[in-house]
Amino acid sequence: MTNFAHPSEHAALLAESVADFVRRGTTVARARTLREAGAECDRAQWRGLAELGWLGVLVPERFGGMGLGITEAAIVAQGLARGLVPEPFTATAVLATSILAGADNEAFMAEKLPQIVAGKLLPAVAWQERAGELDPGAIDAVAVAFEGGFRLSGVKHFIAGAVDADAFLVSARHAGDLALFWVPRDSAGARLTQQRLADGRSSGTLGLTDVMVAREGMIASPAVARAALAQALDRAAVVAGAELVGVMGRALELSLDYMRTRVQFGKPIGSFQALQHRAVDLYLQQELATAVLAEAVHALDSGLDGAPRAALASRTKARASEAALRITREAIQLHGAIGFTDDCDVGLYTKRALVLSAWLGNATAHRRRYARIAAQPGGAHD
Amino acid sequence: MTDYNALTDDAFRAELRAFFEANYPRHLRFLPRRMRWHECRDWYLALSKKGWLAPHWPPEHGGMGLTPGKLIIYFEETERAGIGRMPDQGLTMVGPTIIRFGNDAQRRKFLPPIIAGEHIWCQGYSEPNAGSDLASLQTSAVLEGDEFVINGSKIWTSMAHDATHIYVLVRTARQAKKQEGISFVLVDMKTPGITVRPIRNIAGHEEFCQVFFDNVRTPRANLVGELNAGWTIAKGLLGFERLNIGSPRRPLQALEQIEVLARARQLGDNPAFVERLTELKLDLADLGSLYARYVDKVRRGEALGPDVSMLKIWATETYQRLSELLIEAAGEYGAFEGEIPVGDASVDILSPFYTSRPGTIYGGSNEIQRNILAKYVLKLPG
Repeated sequence: MTNFAHPSEHAALLAESVADFVRRGTTVARARTLREAGAECDRAQWRGLAELGWLGVLVPERFGGMGLGITEAAIVAQGLARGLVPEPFTATAVLATSILAGADNEAFMAEKLPQIVAGKLLPAVAWQERAGELDPGAIDAVAVAFEGGFRLSGVKHFIAGAVDADAFLVSARHAGDLALFWVPRDSAGARLTQQRLADGRSSGTLGLTDVMVAREGMIASPAVARAALAQALDRAAVVAGAELVGVMGRALELSLDYMRTRVQFGKPIGSFQALQHRAVDLYLQQELATAVLAEAVHALDSGLDGAPRAALASRTKARASEAALRITREAIQLHGAIGFTDDCDVGLYTKRALVLSAWLGNATAHRRRYARIAAQPGGAHD
Repeated sequence: MTDYNALTDDAFRAELRAFFEANYPRHLRFLPRRMRWHECRDWYLALSKKGWLAPHWPPEHGGMGLTPGKLIIYFEETERAGIGRMPDQGLTMVGPTIIRFGNDAQRRKFLPPIIAGEHIWCQGYSEPNAGSDLASLQTSAVLEGDEFVINGSKIWTSMAHDATHIYVLVRTARQAKKQEGISFVLVDMKTPGITVRPIRNIAGHEEFCQVFFDNVRTPRANLVGELNAGWTIAKGLLGFERLNIGSPRRPLQALEQIEVLARARQLGDNPAFVERLTELKLDLADLGSLYARYVDKVRRGEALGPDVSMLKIWATETYQRLSELLIEAAGEYGAFEGEIPVGDASVDILSPFYTSRPGTIYGGSNEIQRNILAKYVLKLPG
């Protein structure tokens, strides 16, 4: 079952290849193994994603990518999330590549993007400094110019995919304006710390003290940086929404299967009206999230921009986050005591929902952003 | 004939807005109840003359044939102008049914008078002993020569006192399976033997009625579809009805009233209110996404499956939640009868509370909708 409203043949084929990748990689079992090791990116699997072209799904063809849209990125993300694939697809193949492709350092793009697409270079995006703050401009990190380039100082939090990152795309104030810089992991003055997340993956914190970046390491100048970052964050919020739809879809399927087979009082528990109505309300939340997602991917691929794009991205992330949390929580309840065991997969889905919901702004943060945009004239008429 | 779908959205919106502003009677704006025929006849005819009465009908039958995107704009502008609900069973229910299930003779005989405002329809489904269990209906129709002879009674028939015609579900055979002996027939309300008794509702209005049939004769040619196949047609029609009830139009009206009140009482400074309002705004915006999906399906000529029930659930329950926030936002005014002055405008605080009550009851109560979804969509055991 695909969760897109009207899958074209091409979309259905793509969804099937993603499902096939997940099956062959036995990813749920692998997610269990990786979490014990505190790792989240198996380089062989990452190369597998690269070989299928998916790391370059949004990258223009002239940089070795597929040059496709958010529609396709969302299909890949949704399918990978159904299988609890731990690799940072959205953080890298959507967020990082969108920033680079929207930047104005053509030479840098030509060098780095093909390596990212090939799975040889894994950048993570370090933009956020405070929990709940979704404005990419609300930062304190600074980049001070000197003869050879820039000196960066500041602290970045909540970096997805930091564990395995080779480099960071860092936002900083430069002469009062926002700019973006490329900071290799082993740069002098850069300290990466990691904190464990519910699903076994990590959230990175990057401390920068006078980190020297060469002049060509400014990947987006103040002329384009804010717009490139804002667009990339809206895209990533929508694709994270697709991941959440994948997570909730599988958790609901597992629960419905259980309701059909688990017998108590001589009947399958799914025949009890109290549980049926509960399941219907979860399904309704899933379908709302799916409908908003479908509208958002279509609108973003049709070039929706500015405040309406931000409003729609927020609406998608808010609904998907809330629906996934509710469905996965209730999946535990519908499974009864077995749902509270580590052996039961619904717990893995619950934890992934917690991580994806909190990342890039949770439901509350996105509702607030939506309200702010809607209050502006010509804001959220989506 | 204008191809409205060829207009840009903005141009189409502007054209609708100008016409509605100029022509819809001021005293009928934001009416706290359904309009009676004598009140809205001129407006109905003005729309008809303009060719704008049936936005969702195909052009060959006098409709505008709007695409889903344009249809939503039409509803938004209707809402914005505060246009009340007319006796619209012909436009929203029986017209689309005759287009889909009727024959050419029926289309020629019954569709033009709907567009011309000569026939006003009402719906004869529920009976005193057949509510949620509609298929147990007992009103009988016996074939005598070329006529059906109908005996029994229908209840909760909205606007029967304004109607010239009624479409009725009648029992034409006593089969083992109660769904299999039901037919769908059209009856002229002037036929001898029909008595209409209005019923006062909780808001004090007489909108619905009981209709008594005492040896009422209607031509066999008024049978829509096959004999004893009425249940299937009714279910198809309920699909339309659930789509209609699922429209974001009426909840949008309640939202508008909340915003008028919020401005006057300066509730924008109250964070608890703003958070709740934003949640409901998103519930409504997401309803729009889900609704667009179904409108799109209808426009592509696809039958609506049982999953459309979730649209009805979400729309009617969102409407109720909005009506409850309106009362909360009004503070002590929350119990005031009728219109209260609010800034430059006036708002009837209790009206949405009353008008949103029947939505979760009629057209199959929301509990029945959840049963349908559990059985036919989630395939849970019986």
